[in-house]
Amino acid sequence: MKKLVLLFSVLFALVALTGCGKGPMQLVWFSDGVEGTVMQGLLDQYEEETGVEIELVSVAYDSYEAKLATMISGGNAPALARVTEGHLTNYQDEVISLEGVYDTTKFANLFFNADGDVVSLPMDVTANGMFVNFDLLDAYEVDYPTGDDEVWTWDTFYTEMSKLDGDDVAAPGVIDHKGHRFMPLIYQAGVTVWDTPYTTTNLTSQAAVDATQRIMDYFEEGFFDIDGAYDTQNSASLFRGGQYGFHISGNWNVAGYQDLTFDWGVLPMPKDANRATILGGKSMAAFEGSGYEQEAKDFIAWMAQDAHHDAYCEGVPFLSPRYDAVIDFGDYEAQYSVFQDEISATASEYSEDWFNQILIVGMYPIINDWAQAVATNPDGKTALQLLQELETELIAAANAE
Amino acid sequence: MKRKVRWPSYLIAILIVVFFLWPVLYVIFSSFKTLNEISSPNPTFFPDQWTLQSYIDVFQKANFLRYIGNSFFVAVSSTALAVVINTMAGYALSKFRFKGDKIILIIILSTIMLPLEVIMVPIYRVLTFFGMTDTYAALIIPAAATPTGIFLMRQYLVTIPDDLIESARIDGASEWKIFTRIIVPNAKAAIATLAIFSFMWRWNDYIWPLIAITDMNKYTMQLAIANLNGEFSMDYNGILASATISMVPMLFVFLIFQRQFVQGTAQTGMKG
Repeated sequence: MKKLVLLFSVLFALVALTGCGKGPMQLVWFSDGVEGTVMQGLLDQYEEETGVEIELVSVAYDSYEAKLATMISGGNAPALARVTEGHLTNYQDEVISLEGVYDTTKFANLFFNADGDVVSLPMDVTANGMFVNFDLLDAYEVDYPTGDDEVWTWDTFYTEMSKLDGDDVAAPGVIDHKGHRFMPLIYQAGVTVWDTPYTTTNLTSQAAVDATQRIMDYFEEGFFDIDGAYDTQNSASLFRGGQYGFHISGNWNVAGYQDLTFDWGVLPMPKDANRATILGGKSMAAFEGSGYEQEAKDFIAWMAQDAHHDAYCEGVPFLSPRYDAVIDFGDYEAQYSVFQDEISATASEYSEDWFNQILIVGMYPIINDWAQAVATNPDGKTALQLLQELETELIAAANAE
Repeated sequence: MKRKVRWPSYLIAILIVVFFLWPVLYVIFSSFKTLNEISSPNPTFFPDQWTLQSYIDVFQKANFLRYIGNSFFVAVSSTALAVVINTMAGYALSKFRFKGDKIILIIILSTIMLPLEVIMVPIYRVLTFFGMTDTYAALIIPAAATPTGIFLMRQYLVTIPDDLIESARIDGASEWKIFTRIIVPNAKAAIATLAIFSFMWRWNDYIWPLIAITDMNKYTMQLAIANLNGEFSMDYNGILASATISMVPMLFVFLIFQRQFVQGTAQTGMKG
């Protein structure tokens, strides 16, 4: 028995001693396609140039929050992580200020902390837009815009796409079931959410009610397919089946749709009072408590250099948040030019208004819930009632902090 | 005398089997479908066009053989350790009377009520302290002693007559000999049940490996499958094919220990 106790004590001591080393510098990452591969290439290049090794930790998106949260609260924060606006909001106390680390005047889509310091390096920009199945549109003689400056109105869009009604059509189209994809339709109606940020809104205006009613009607009539389109992945999957005329989503699907067996493309989203899209994107942040704070800043400074940043955006490819970037989109040039045009056509007041939502913890889930209520309307509420509820919840969330 | 065939019972049993097996078979058959067929809004149960492309892609895109090997190593090591530790603990709590034995049992049982998510951060901190994060040991050691395993073994070992142990002691057998020569052979059914459950828990474990492992070379099968799911995209073909592959080892383990498993669950009251 004594021998057994001695053996366990030695083993325990050995295990305890192995814990004295510092682990490798880590970049926690999630991928939709080839972003991880492209970033690994840049990490290899960085190691060649500087001798600093950074381990890429690839995590499934659904579990990303759990992984990041446990690492941080478990005292093992990563040096770097790929983050969304939501992550930056949730971890605003843990991310390191990057003030003076890189030239922020060169980048759009910046995030700041309460002190006004920039807290991440924007890595890519996403924009909402519309994918169409040209084979189906041509088969049903849908008259779609072909010129650079041609844009459907929602009424003509509805009339034309309603021609898709044969046996080989499941529904005219699908829209990602996310608040992020629904809100451009409100902005297109000329409505900003906030009249005075976090105090009064424009959500109960007639224009907002009409825009919301239109979405509700589209779902009720089956013009937007409700079946299965409860999240982004499903609607993309449905569009892949070839039985939908359009898919309102975002530029991240361009690369993913390359293997589709039908002729597809990107068209401008229909307009209402004006055109509008919503910007999104991912950035890279450094965290307190990793033991590699300075090394993380050094890598971000390296990554912000024109050649390295462009190599990332071109490698995937992504729309670049760097103002002067000239990205060669290769085979995706035609599709990306439509997204760039959507961004150019969007007034800055809408982008700024959208930022007001994502800066407050809990606001985006409220908008997602609203989107679900608009699509499914389980309680038979009117558009005005749904907007009034949204208004109440957003103001409450904004003033809860 | 002619035996009466109980058709209603069989019919209900068949319906229940079909009900539970349907989604599993759907996954298996769908893994042989083309990408367009999986994406179809009017899905069929059987593939229209059978293809192995999903399986070829899974092995080409990622190092799935390595992930299967990792899962196998972790599940087997963890199961072996769990069987030894839980059997010993169960034996101690069922056959030895010492001060506080009942309180210890209650404390162990009460931890069954705690979901992993609650104790995840403390365990992770312990692993970080010992520098064990991102090691296979991080997957094997924390799972070595489980309250469910201890309870299962304790419940079974209580049924072994004390006289058997007393006789051995009178004959001069050491405690170690009693454990290895009397307790273990008599607890084969419970050990088989524990082994199957332990293997299944570790093989299907997702949350803990997600937290404990960062190096992709040490990823288990479940982590690799989850990685096929992005923010905006989901590799349905890859997920279905890899999920089908991941069922195979569990199926073999169950087939090998089937008899002992049924006997063990009946005698320990475990329902899985």
